[in-house]
Amino acid sequence: MEALFDASVQEVSRLLGLTDAEKSVLEDADAAASELVTSEFESYVQRKYNDQVPVILRRHNLMGVPIASKYGGRGARQLVQALFMERMGQVGMGVVTFADVHQCLGSLVIQDWGNEEQRSRYLPRAATGDVVLAYGLTEPEAGSDPGSLKTTFVRDGSSYRLTGSKYLISNGSVATNMIVFAYPAEGGKGPSAFVVDTKQKGFEVDMRLEEKVGLFTSDTSLLSLTDLAVPKEDLLGVEGKGFSVAYSALLNGRIGIGSGCVGVMEDCLNQVRERATSRVQHGKPIGKHQLIQKQVAFIESSLESCRWLVYRAALKKDEYEKDISNLALRGEADRLSAVAKYMSSRSAFESADRALQIFGGFGYSIMSPVAKHFLDTRVARIYEGTDEIMELKIASSVLGREFEAYR
Amino acid sequence: MQLHLDGSNSIMAPSESVYSLLTDAAFLATTLPDAEDVHVLDKTSLEATIKVRVAVVSSKLRIKMAVTATQPPTNASLAVTGTGSGSNMQISSSFELSGSSPTTMKWMADADITGVMAGLGSTLLKGFASKKVAEIFEGITKAIEERAK
Repeated sequence: MEALFDASVQEVSRLLGLTDAEKSVLEDADAAASELVTSEFESYVQRKYNDQVPVILRRHNLMGVPIASKYGGRGARQLVQALFMERMGQVGMGVVTFADVHQCLGSLVIQDWGNEEQRSRYLPRAATGDVVLAYGLTEPEAGSDPGSLKTTFVRDGSSYRLTGSKYLISNGSVATNMIVFAYPAEGGKGPSAFVVDTKQKGFEVDMRLEEKVGLFTSDTSLLSLTDLAVPKEDLLGVEGKGFSVAYSALLNGRIGIGSGCVGVMEDCLNQVRERATSRVQHGKPIGKHQLIQKQVAFIESSLESCRWLVYRAALKKDEYEKDISNLALRGEADRLSAVAKYMSSRSAFESADRALQIFGGFGYSIMSPVAKHFLDTRVARIYEGTDEIMELKIASSVLGREFEAYR
Repeated sequence: MQLHLDGSNSIMAPSESVYSLLTDAAFLATTLPDAEDVHVLDKTSLEATIKVRVAVVSSKLRIKMAVTATQPPTNASLAVTGTGSGSNMQISSSFELSGSSPTTMKWMADADITGVMAGLGSTLLKGFASKKVAEIFEGITKAIEERAK
């Protein structure tokens, strides 16, 4: 195993215990990550979606990491899912984004909110990779405020018909199915969640967003839904309760992004260790210059502090999974996932910036291993809850619900 | 930046002919992939320009390869130095043979890379280098087996 990841796995195993099956998932993650390095680099410098990510994850039986074993997945609890995402993060946030959306925002949502028929229909195929999932919440006019969604549905006999736009959707043009949130056209109730078939008439990819600041290897799309027929069997959860579905997905997803950012910091540390000990300037390795050591110390300290923040959030989510009627536990899991995502994404961005500085001019090229992290982690401070939304959530969790600033 | 690679290949040929070919610069010259302007300097050394491609990034390196130590009929060492496109590399490699028809060739290589290519980092370069080295040894294996027929 890669050394820093191996150290994480060993320590978690020693302190918290990991089963042989869980260790096997993580060994597979390590093998897949090693295999992903070259295609991820090739795609990154060409600024294109890395279509090898689902292929390689599938080859290592990693498409359904959190899906219950009875549906063909690996049945990983949140802590193991976090470790899996940590290793993917070393390769890059493009891989993390694909896996987080397919698994945490897609598969887990169907597992948590779907009925038995829906689970049996979707999860085995999501575990093999025959189904690839996307999550359609964000719209051109609804980012941090999902209450502003403009996508609507009407009932049409035994179906629903959905109309609207979804924007900045990761996996949007490569997914076979997407969780879509829409309000009833007649108004009244809250939004509902649907599992949409992207091959259906009325679903169109308007644009693949390729002119992004970073995250080139992840698919990001603008999608149109025009009178799109969705069978009533694909309503997810209770009609009008879509926000519950959406928020539970984001809780999973935020731990996933936080874990990926821990992996980014690990890779930054690996890269700067190599660079600082081998690059010679002024007659000695640059690592012997104290101002370089200051940057290394920051990255190492950020990594160590965020790692356990993420594990703690994952453990709290696992605790909640065993007692899902306990709202206090859910609130704690929600708070800790926000703290973990907030700190990890900011720290990863700052670490990548400092790593780039150590690489000097070469770091300013997307061929360098750290520029990719610098560009990619910027979005981790925006998607699945901006820094600001995380701050508001964290503050109100301390001050009380009556202080929720977005109410 | 340092890189270590190792592996083994099974060659369907007698060990004496494997050893003789692996220490013969004229033979090695025929197995270099993407090489141009190849000059065999003597029985144990050669010069060539090789194209190294890492994804869309390609560079040309002028290399010198020499057999530096031999312990017939099983062991030998090779040294490669290369420079070009802002990069420099020094490779020390060795192999050890065992058995015969098939002959097992265990090999290892330590590379020290500086300049532009070093900036790509060993995580990435190791992936590409492993693939390239595997191709090189596959080519050598095939060429030896052809000669042995």
